[in-house]
Amino acid sequence: MVKMNHLDHNLNLTIPFPNNRYAEIAVKVLRPDPILKPEDFEVEYKNKGNSLEIGFKSVDDRVLRVGVSSVIDSVKTIIETIDELDSV
Amino acid sequence: MVNLNTVLPKNGRNYYVALGLEGSANKLGVGVIKHPLLAEHEDGDLSFKCESEIMANIRDTYVTPPGEGFLPRDTARHHRNWCVRLIKKALQEAGIKEPSRDLDVICFTRGPGMGAPLHSVAIAARTISLLWDIPLVGVNHCVGHIEMGREITGAANPVVLYVSGGNTQVIAYSEKRYRIFGETLDIAIGNCLDRFARTLRIPNTPSPGYNIEQLAKKCSDKEALVELPYTVKGMDLSMSGILAYIETLAKDLFKGNRKNKTLFDSKTGEQKIGVDDLCYALQENLFAMLVEITERAMAHVNSNQVLIVGGVGCNERLQEMMGQMCGDRAFGQVHATDERFCIDNGVMIAQAGLLEYRMGQATTDFSKTVVTQKFRTDEVYVGWRE
Repeated sequence: MVKMNHLDHNLNLTIPFPNNRYAEIAVKVLRPDPILKPEDFEVEYKNKGNSLEIGFKSVDDRVLRVGVSSVIDSVKTIIETIDELDSV
Repeated sequence: MVNLNTVLPKNGRNYYVALGLEGSANKLGVGVIKHPLLAEHEDGDLSFKCESEIMANIRDTYVTPPGEGFLPRDTARHHRNWCVRLIKKALQEAGIKEPSRDLDVICFTRGPGMGAPLHSVAIAARTISLLWDIPLVGVNHCVGHIEMGREITGAANPVVLYVSGGNTQVIAYSEKRYRIFGETLDIAIGNCLDRFARTLRIPNTPSPGYNIEQLAKKCSDKEALVELPYTVKGMDLSMSGILAYIETLAKDLFKGNRKNKTLFDSKTGEQKIGVDDLCYALQENLFAMLVEITERAMAHVNSNQVLIVGGVGCNERLQEMMGQMCGDRAFGQVHATDERFCIDNGVMIAQAGLLEYRMGQATTDFSKTVVTQKFRTDEVYVGWRE
């Protein structure tokens, strides 16, 4: 019997930005990077108005936690870069 | 004919300015470089003579305690913590007030290196690229070392020995690629030296093998060279066996294992060999192997110049041994740079990236900016050379 991976551990994050442009930038920066194990973990990035919306789907809690924390680390870098370096 | 002025500087300026970001290992480097727009660059292979001006070159190293290596996760955290501050400082030093107007291109290391640290810097690079609306170039780290070395030393077409913590390669240019003539089959030379340093519990800063070099200088009896395996395999070399062997010797030395006849006199039990003798022997043995394959590559491509780049390249003993070899060859020359350019830095990424940009090889398509741990030197199309 083929075992199917059910991506039934989900999490949605909404991160507000000061404006639409910044939220768009965040999506463009995050989107290109491939997921190492697409059968275990999925991420979707969207911007809705001023917000960055990230949807995670994963096979278990552990994979979800690791994946989410790595994306949050990247988001932190993006926010700091925008804060400090836009029109320096 | 190569036209290095294929893409002209932005806003009608008569010079190019590039920002370079490097973070493939434990060093985070940010550099700003300026190339004047020169008429002679319109036709001809003059990529080693850009008349570069270095406007900023700053670096922050993630330092671990002696006896410990750097782990990808912690190194990435270090880079994330410092990246923005370093970029800001570099721009300030270079006197760049409005990056969106004053910069032509942003260059970052796309590989090879550790995945997580590379990625953390790429994220920052993409963000500023969008904020300031400036194209990106993903640079091969090895090519960065080669181009900076050529620019600094003015070596037009050298055989390149690239020796660092993660790489050991002998490279020569041919047909639009930097071809790998020989390389390590297992660990890099800097890794070999660093791991031995870890066994000796001495620090790895500022560059791989630096502290081993200092201990080796203290070796009192250079004639009584400790014999180590010599493992050149054709044009390649292997170093893991040498490391395992010398680590066993070092451990026996620390334990005072008098049964080891290499270290202790069989009759009196007196210690014959010290830590500095081991360091000296390791250096001599490894460097002799490097010199051998470099010389063979020179004979192959009929070159009389050697350029030594990479973190281990600051080692004065290696430069001296290479010099002796070149001295025996007709018109042989060794080119090496000092620690500012040998050790990973942002300027070299800016230099190689700017050459790529000037040939029209920059991108705004972020799917081409995904970092990669494995990125061979010969994968890069070297458009800026004949």
